Amino acid sequence: MARTLMRFTGVGGQGVLLAGEIFAAAKIKTGGYGLKTATYTSQVRGGPTVVDITLDDEEIFYPYANDGEINFMLSVANVSYNLFKNGVKEGGTIVIDPNLVHPTEEDRKRWTIYEIPIITIAKEEVGNVITQSVVALAIANTIMKPLDKEVLIETMLSKVPAKVHDVNKVAYELGEKYALEAMAAKK
Amino acid sequence: MATREVISTGNELAAMAAVDAGCMFFGGYPLTPSSEVMHVISDLLPKKGGVAIQMEDEIAGVCAVIGAAMSGQRALTATSGPGISLKAENLGLAQMAEVPIVVVNVMRGGPSTGLPTRVSQGDIAQAKNPSHGDYKSITLCAGSLEECYTETVRAFNLADRFMQPVFVLLDETLGHMHGKAMLPTKEEVEAGIVPRKTFDGPADEYFPYECEADQPAVLNPMFKGYRYHFTGLHHDKNGFPTEEIETCRKLIQRLEDKVELHKDELESYEEFMMDDAEIMIVAYGSVSLAAKEAIRHLRNEGIKAGLFRPITIWPSPAEKMKEYADKIEKVLVVELNIGQYRDEVQRATSRLDIEGLFKVNGRPLSPYEIVNKVKEL
Repeated sequence: MARTLMRFTGVGGQGVLLAGEIFAAAKIKTGGYGLKTATYTSQVRGGPTVVDITLDDEEIFYPYANDGEINFMLSVANVSYNLFKNGVKEGGTIVIDPNLVHPTEEDRKRWTIYEIPIITIAKEEVGNVITQSVVALAIANTIMKPLDKEVLIETMLSKVPAKVHDVNKVAYELGEKYALEAMAAKK
Repeated sequence: MATREVISTGNELAAMAAVDAGCMFFGGYPLTPSSEVMHVISDLLPKKGGVAIQMEDEIAGVCAVIGAAMSGQRALTATSGPGISLKAENLGLAQMAEVPIVVVNVMRGGPSTGLPTRVSQGDIAQAKNPSHGDYKSITLCAGSLEECYTETVRAFNLADRFMQPVFVLLDETLGHMHGKAMLPTKEEVEAGIVPRKTFDGPADEYFPYECEADQPAVLNPMFKGYRYHFTGLHHDKNGFPTEEIETCRKLIQRLEDKVELHKDELESYEEFMMDDAEIMIVAYGSVSLAAKEAIRHLRNEGIKAGLFRPITIWPSPAEKMKEYADKIEKVLVVELNIGQYRDEVQRATSRLDIEGLFKVNGRPLSPYEIVNKVKEL
């Protein structure tokens, strides 16, 4: 596997960190290397937050994604989208929540942009807004396929309390469903 | 060597290491980006009968740790640069009274409160001389997740060997990055613990500060029948204040020599692709990760660059750096400050033409920035 670089962006408090940890841990479980780094501001809630995820079969030294090399970005906040979008390479994939992020026409030519209402799915269909990070996890894995779905779900469940296992499984399935629909619509 | 795979962050690994190394006390005050060290250890320590306490501020945090160490226990505090500034006076006390403590500093942007959530290596000079007066700092600098663990373990053994504070420097990147670390087993760490020396003769023959000119004090745990005085003033063999000329001179000279004359026990560095290197990059901490990635790119283009990475940064591996700099013309120091360690490389190598690549805006140095700088040399 070539190196996969993914970037999740939002604002502090949205829980974008967890998805990164799950990806890194799942890749490590399969015998590879995974690293997650997070950058946040000192306004912990409300400041732009970015999580970089590097997955590789070879040892990874530098833990951040180099600008211009990112394969995939997911964003649930406009301020973070604008700050970090230029890290995504030409032709790369970006998933946005269309209720919160507003790409320009220029952006749509430069990248493949999928619009999935991540927060609404978590809040209304799953019934718990906190599950948005798992919805995002499912979307990223369905589109990019860096990891076996079962390994990823197993890792995810090991990181959340037992009492919320079921709701997070639902969140994963919904994220996957919406990602498949979005991909089908592009074709 | 048996190993175990742990998926974690640098801060968490430092806390785990302390507990595995026999630390029984943590005192401190949470400070970004080091707070997770305290969070994790406050969960781990009570489970093994230890104590973790959040004091009213940074100063009280280190004072509590000094007290715990005086009782014979291994003790830790963790903070960032602004916390070290506050603790400075008492770090000097621990140097003077010869109290073994471990201080983890997860570096963030400075000076002052600086950039709380951003990476920096601005505390390199501070770690050498956090407090006034003459003494010799022992500072270890982790350069990977593994080393956040192994260097913290080593710090505890060195603190007890040299009877003084030992710093472990992490930085925001290492402290917060999350990934795989291959660690020695707990059994192996426990087997490697060398406790501090104690005196077990008659109490009236116990003189804690009467020791060889190059050896540390022998401080028995307090309240166990061996009485001595504890002070930051120049002191005699019992620890009582004195201004006697020779006693004062010998004391400070001994604080210097106990480290300076035993540098071989402290020296630690990594050489990465240095065998045929025509360009030497000197980097430490998280910056060395970017340097390794840069060297991969440079080697692919046929440029023979190598990395020399000091792990014990104070005292520095000066002789080794000089040996390399005597045969390699192009030497580049890469760091997240404005040349704090380049000063040391210049001193060690007796060369003023050491190049530097520096950054102080709270952002990491990328491999490409290093590649471009090397090509300019």
